[in-house]
Amino acid sequence: MEPVTAFFAIILGGVLVGICVHFIPASATGAMSAATGIATGPSMLSAGAGMAGLLSASYSIDSGLSVVLASGATASALMVALTILSGNIANAFGTGVPPASGQTASGQSITGKSTKDAISGWDQKPYISPGTDGHGMPVQTNFSGLIGAFIGGTGGALVLFAVYTLLVPILRQDAAFTISGFIAGGVFLINCVLPAYTLVGKTEGMFDQKIRKTPKTLVSCFIVSSVIAMIIYIAAVVIQ
Amino acid sequence: MLPLLGAALSGLLAFLAGIFEDSESNAGSASNPNSQVQLAPQIGHRHRYFNKAISGEPPANALWVTTAATVAVLLSVRLEAMGTLYSVILSSVIGALVSALLLGLYGILAHISRIASMRTFRQPLYWDAIFSALPLGISFGFLTAFSLTLLSFTAGMMLNNPFSVPLIALLLGITIGSIGSATGDIHYGAERLYQHYMFGSGIPIAKQGDIDIKGEYGYRNSVDTPYFTLRFGAMVTAFAFGLLIFLDSLSRVFDFAGVWTSVIVELGIILIIFIVTVRLEKYTRDKYGPFMR
Repeated sequence: MEPVTAFFAIILGGVLVGICVHFIPASATGAMSAATGIATGPSMLSAGAGMAGLLSASYSIDSGLSVVLASGATASALMVALTILSGNIANAFGTGVPPASGQTASGQSITGKSTKDAISGWDQKPYISPGTDGHGMPVQTNFSGLIGAFIGGTGGALVLFAVYTLLVPILRQDAAFTISGFIAGGVFLINCVLPAYTLVGKTEGMFDQKIRKTPKTLVSCFIVSSVIAMIIYIAAVVIQ
Repeated sequence: MLPLLGAALSGLLAFLAGIFEDSESNAGSASNPNSQVQLAPQIGHRHRYFNKAISGEPPANALWVTTAATVAVLLSVRLEAMGTLYSVILSSVIGALVSALLLGLYGILAHISRIASMRTFRQPLYWDAIFSALPLGISFGFLTAFSLTLLSFTAGMMLNNPFSVPLIALLLGITIGSIGSATGDIHYGAERLYQHYMFGSGIPIAKQGDIDIKGEYGYRNSVDTPYFTLRFGAMVTAFAFGLLIFLDSLSRVFDFAGVWTSVIVELGIILIIFIVTVRLEKYTRDKYGPFMR
């Protein structure tokens, strides 16, 4: 990868991470089975998935860009899939509630006034506990979470590979790799937190009305990732 | 053989770390349900829960584990003469001890500050609430840091991860924090804190903060919490984190499609998990039925 390509890859990776947070269903009040989504903040959950992706992508760094991206994406998706399954197990057998989408049940999701799950077609309204905004992760949010994890994992792995490409000519290989890991983790964390301002602590993923706010996140993630990419590019290529 | 053994050992260590991490966060009300403990005095419930939420669970765990792993790496070089295995184990114990001390220091200051901020609502600072729950939290914190430091060494030395051990620990710390916060906390937040509400319902938003403050023996404190959540919530966390690490490591043991093997295996596993999750949803809908109002 050429240094200039790597510069743009860091920006693209950062923006992909920002987008992924909009797709991963999460809500802190999910811990009280009071809202649909994985029971933690969207930013923190995406960060966890991204770190799992980075860890997996690191094994295949010598196998080329496409394998690194695929490894990052699948490991992130594996983390989200397992978390959704475990969260639903906790809701089903710990709290005794079936998964149900609050926003779909109230006819306010992006699919219109239908109260049925967009993928399974199962009605959500009768299964909501009164006074809550849903609980657990029904099929449509599960699907959205997996797409989000694929996007985020790809973004994180892209940053890792791009930074590694920039650093490896000027540093020892293991040092370049570890520093790339730290920078990729940092870029992931920064871009995960930025969407928190548009999501305000809760999202049901791609069927939530908040998905319409993704362009705002795109702009902020683009600006932040550009600054980071510029610093790394200057440090690795310009100053020698 | 070594990668298979490494995958099995990683899975075991990750499973144990999952149990300890969830118990540590529940003993200290460190994650999402801490908002309920924080709300309780505002609606007139004086409680004896320990509340040490300083940050989200992922960065907190990343701090404890990275501290332990950094100390362990530095010490293991000094103790190299003992042999690799013994130097790694001994240095991991010392690293985890350092991180447990750090956790204790943060824990005591965070709890006192949290309770002091509730002065307006006449929430007293109970010394027994600190001195009974804090050692338990520190113990679980020590075990989490120890398991994850060993797991980081296993990933670095047996599975040949090219990252340095402290960086692996940082990534694992953030991942275990987000899994623990997303799965085990439901058992604590929706069930243990609201045991006086009927089983089979989410907690209405209007009732939040109305936590159960009476325990089996007098007032409930945070030592009782892991006693309850260890039976289910901690196991669910351990299941998720243990399986993630085990399956991710296992996917690299096979070799039938060259460098793409692990990607193909993981895609297959994701598909199976998705199907199981959908079947679970169908099962709960059929079993519990619509909500009876």
